[in-house]
Amino acid sequence: MYGLENISAHNGWAITFVGVTIVFTGLTLLCLSIGQLHKILGLWENKDTSITNQDRKTLTSNAANAFPKPVMPVKDLETIAQYKLIVERLQQPFSLPKLLDIAVKIGLDRPHSTINTLLVKKIIVPDGKGYFIWTL
Amino acid sequence: MPSGLELLKSIDMFSTFTQEELEKIAPLVNPMKVMEGEILAKKGYRARTFFIVIKGDFLLSFQNGKAITLHNKGDIMGWSTLVAPFEYRGTVIALTNGEVLTLQGQEFYLLLQSESALSSKIMNEINSIIASRTPYHEV
Amino acid sequence: MAQLFLEFLSNTGFALADYRHLIMILTGIIFIYLGIAKHYEPLLLVPIGFGILVGNIPVFKGLGLGIYEDSSVLHYLYMGVTSGVYPPLIFLGIGALTDFSTMLARPMLMLLGAAAQMGIFATFLGALALGFAPNEAASIGIIGGADGPTAIFLTAKLAPHLIGPIAVAAYSYMALVPVIQPPIMKLLTTRKERLIRMEEPREVSKKEKIIFPIIGFLLCCFVAPAALPLLGMLFFGNLLKECVVAERLAQAARTSVLDTVTILLGLTVGASTQADVFLTPQSVGVFILGAVSFGIATASGVIFAKIMNLFLKTKINPLLGAAGVSAVPDSARVVQIVGQAEDPNNFLLMHAMAPNISGVIGSAIVAGVLWSFIG
Repeated sequence: MYGLENISAHNGWAITFVGVTIVFTGLTLLCLSIGQLHKILGLWENKDTSITNQDRKTLTSNAANAFPKPVMPVKDLETIAQYKLIVERLQQPFSLPKLLDIAVKIGLDRPHSTINTLLVKKIIVPDGKGYFIWTL
Repeated sequence: MPSGLELLKSIDMFSTFTQEELEKIAPLVNPMKVMEGEILAKKGYRARTFFIVIKGDFLLSFQNGKAITLHNKGDIMGWSTLVAPFEYRGTVIALTNGEVLTLQGQEFYLLLQSESALSSKIMNEINSIIASRTPYHEV
Repeated sequence: MAQLFLEFLSNTGFALADYRHLIMILTGIIFIYLGIAKHYEPLLLVPIGFGILVGNIPVFKGLGLGIYEDSSVLHYLYMGVTSGVYPPLIFLGIGALTDFSTMLARPMLMLLGAAAQMGIFATFLGALALGFAPNEAASIGIIGGADGPTAIFLTAKLAPHLIGPIAVAAYSYMALVPVIQPPIMKLLTTRKERLIRMEEPREVSKKEKIIFPIIGFLLCCFVAPAALPLLGMLFFGNLLKECVVAERLAQAARTSVLDTVTILLGLTVGASTQADVFLTPQSVGVFILGAVSFGIATASGVIFAKIMNLFLKTKINPLLGAAGVSAVPDSARVVQIVGQAEDPNNFLLMHAMAPNISGVIGSAIVAGVLWSFIG
């Protein structure tokens, strides 16, 4: 047997209807009882209002956040000049990852921390659109 | 080295979390030292680890050459661990030696199943950061 | 000596294998690949995939090696599946792992879990229409509950000869939830609906979380007593978790017990998919109907949410309906992903956990109902 005949022969419609009813009844009852549970508990005793949003003081100050920056590994002026040359080639505003990439490729000493120092000293500043500007 | 819990307490993002909540998160975070030049995440790779800066400076580079730099304690990286398609949107490079807290995406989702309110709190903190960085990695 | 050597060769897998074994071995390897390389439900697909390899090594019948031979080790391990022992133990672990507070904070979302179970009944009717017997049709329909332990539990009771294909279909589709659900969700919702932001849920007290498993167990099992083994263990596990005083037991339930049973269940279910049992036209029917079941379950949940919105002042995001498909927490994650595709700041994951978890309860109730009607 196939099709609607098989469904009817095995009470498929009745099983489906009753089954759906039972599932919805069970979960609706659970939904209604849970919905009242917190109200009943609130009536039973003083509701615990110590909601867990107590203020915390940060344990470190902003000064601690400014962790000592590494010392520049090369003489300042010479380093600045080297990076300025690369930036001129890239044109402004430039891509900082590209600057880093070129600095690595041409073998400049410790390019990562050098670029960081240039950022900290605001010689390189972000333009707010994901690119950077040389300010010196 | 301070424990995970002590480090969490010192981060602004977790300033509104209770001791109990921090104690639940602490086992999931691991402090990790990073070296200058180290790549923590690569664009397009499967995002499995989420990072919170403790100290150090980091470069996040996105497509089209765009980038941002992070210098402050509590800055986050690798949020794609928690958001589809679970691929890093940018490459993270350490500009200086530093330290980060790591959180594995898989463990975060287990936390989700067992502590949904806490997970909601974490995601609310991260959401605003996700929104601010979206313009950089969109084409 | 030559005779002995020839006899040995004739007993090796190379001599006994045919193309069906190769198909199943390839299937097992694909499952393992999906689990390890693609991270699709690795905790399920890796044991099942390896189990498929175990079950499809060609062996000489009568040596007590195969899973269907009475005296074999695999057969004894498989008894946990056929007797229905493993699924309740898994539910114990799930209960000890899951936080019901999002559901307690917004009980109305439970109805989405109920709606998603329509997929089970629609597929039950479809399977009957295709000529399956009622016990088989019920076992196939339960795939739409997206709950592996529930599917295995019911099938073990009603149609044990279909455990292999039904379990493999159920777990495969659970792993493919991120692929199956999003197109259906996008088709049935408008952009405006997908952008709906949910209200922050209220705080749920510890007392509520402790009382809920007791009330939930009593209420659900009074309504559907046949769901007792599954729901009893689910709520018991949750009580162990929430009461705090039994944390050691809760810890054992959600780690060692859950992991051990998952290994044994996955391995033996995989091993039960022997080529001669699995590669049949019936199995093809099971897989097709299983996919239909998932699709209808997703659609039912979403449509019910839209219907609810006709009566609600504060609308709910209809995407949450898809989370009524009880693949926890994957379908909740899918809701998050689809919602965030429209609005990156719309964080639906927590809200989706409510229908997700109620879907587990709903599918267990349906299994109990079908078992009591047809068993």
